[in-house]
Amino acid sequence: MSRVFVELADTLVADFDIADFLVLLTERCVELLDVSAAGVILNDPGGDLRLVASSSQRVELLELFAIQVENGPCVECARTGQPVACHDLATDGQRWPRYTAGARECGFRAVQALPMRLRDHTIGALTLLGTEPGALDIDHVRLGQALSDVATIGILQHRTIERGDQVASQLQTALTSRVAIEQARGVLAERGGLSMDEAFTALRGYARANNHRLTVLAVAVVQGTVDLDSVLVGRKA
Amino acid sequence: MGQSRRDRLREQLIVDRAKSPASTVALVCARCVAELSVTGAGATVIGKHGQGEPGDKTPERGLVHATNPVSASLEGLQLTVGEGPCLDTFESGGPVLVADLAADGARWPAFTPGALALGAVAVFSFPLQIGVVRLGSLDLYRDVPGPLSRSEVTDALILADMATQGIVADLDGHDTADLSWLLDPHVEVHQAAGMVQVQLGVSTETALLRMRGHAFTHDVPLAEVARQVVARTLRLTEDEGRQ
Repeated sequence: MSRVFVELADTLVADFDIADFLVLLTERCVELLDVSAAGVILNDPGGDLRLVASSSQRVELLELFAIQVENGPCVECARTGQPVACHDLATDGQRWPRYTAGARECGFRAVQALPMRLRDHTIGALTLLGTEPGALDIDHVRLGQALSDVATIGILQHRTIERGDQVASQLQTALTSRVAIEQARGVLAERGGLSMDEAFTALRGYARANNHRLTVLAVAVVQGTVDLDSVLVGRKA
Repeated sequence: MGQSRRDRLREQLIVDRAKSPASTVALVCARCVAELSVTGAGATVIGKHGQGEPGDKTPERGLVHATNPVSASLEGLQLTVGEGPCLDTFESGGPVLVADLAADGARWPAFTPGALALGAVAVFSFPLQIGVVRLGSLDLYRDVPGPLSRSEVTDALILADMATQGIVADLDGHDTADLSWLLDPHVEVHQAAGMVQVQLGVSTETALLRMRGHAFTHDVPLAEVARQVVARTLRLTEDEGRQ
């Protein structure tokens, strides 16, 4: 577990790529916290919520839906800065009717949303999802919140929170990266005849194997400055 | 709070457009000077390719808008020396905010002396960008040092979004009422742009314009066109989307 903190902290040094960092965060949450999926949404500088990272396409669909209908524990958590949990959407989901319908369609039964917050400033929410009903173990909730805190500090990159302009810069950079990654997924999906999930796996796999920043690789894929066939070869379908 | 601010700026821009035939980008520059503690605003954006054949929508770079001669000169200076906040803003994909240019002199050894000589003491640049598609930059300056406040940065980012939408609308001539697509949570628009660029062998920006063209001519939302492209039930052809 300390290995994960070291790994996350390592990514905070020079050459920091927020998009890459948050994808890593969602993957580590799934490995460590006994959940099926994880996603990160951020409040953009204009006040809208945006999805920036997810561990699978199912959680991606659900988070996007939640943002669109402005409903659900993740949205509530990102707006209020308070943790929001629902241990069984089938019995306790009435509070978020639209979200609950979407979540069940995506195969999720339990949800725990943890705020990404530094003092009084909430920048977003880390959402953990389970396919079975049940509360998350309290130690796992604490660990999830600790990971969320590390991520928040990572995004704010050690700058003092009073420098609001830096927060806006970091968030804008994260959102631009996210769009570039979506464009790269489209290029790889079309070139390799892949699903968007497979395209992301190929992109991330190549970035990790070759020690590239995810955003830098995404830009190279879209601009055609990296050999697409090499990126596609390493994919794990 | 952020939402109402966005609405207020959007409504203000609609009023501006009713009063003036100037481009959205030019109006956004003027609105920046009116709303923010800056002396001048400029933008370098891509424009439509000359007076070429009607179907040619290949974008071309270098169209400049500025609210005063200093802003115009700052735009020119960056292009001449090949460095400065507007170029850095593309590197990061986020704003570049320099509250005191003189104190940060080593950052741009060629740009900074020229900018100070022109009277720019603080500079703030915002990318006009959709992922890898670089449409231009919005560049603000002030003749006294000091940062933009948090709410000013927020306003500038919102205005930059509006300028980005305006540039795309100017490029393809489809001034649709649907200005929300850029902010939509529909990531499929961006995924589809990547697919279409491979299908047609064009740049990402051209792919985006072709999709908008298809949406416009078939009178369906861009998000729906994108959904169909990603689901592989729609494939744009060479001629489609051009008019």
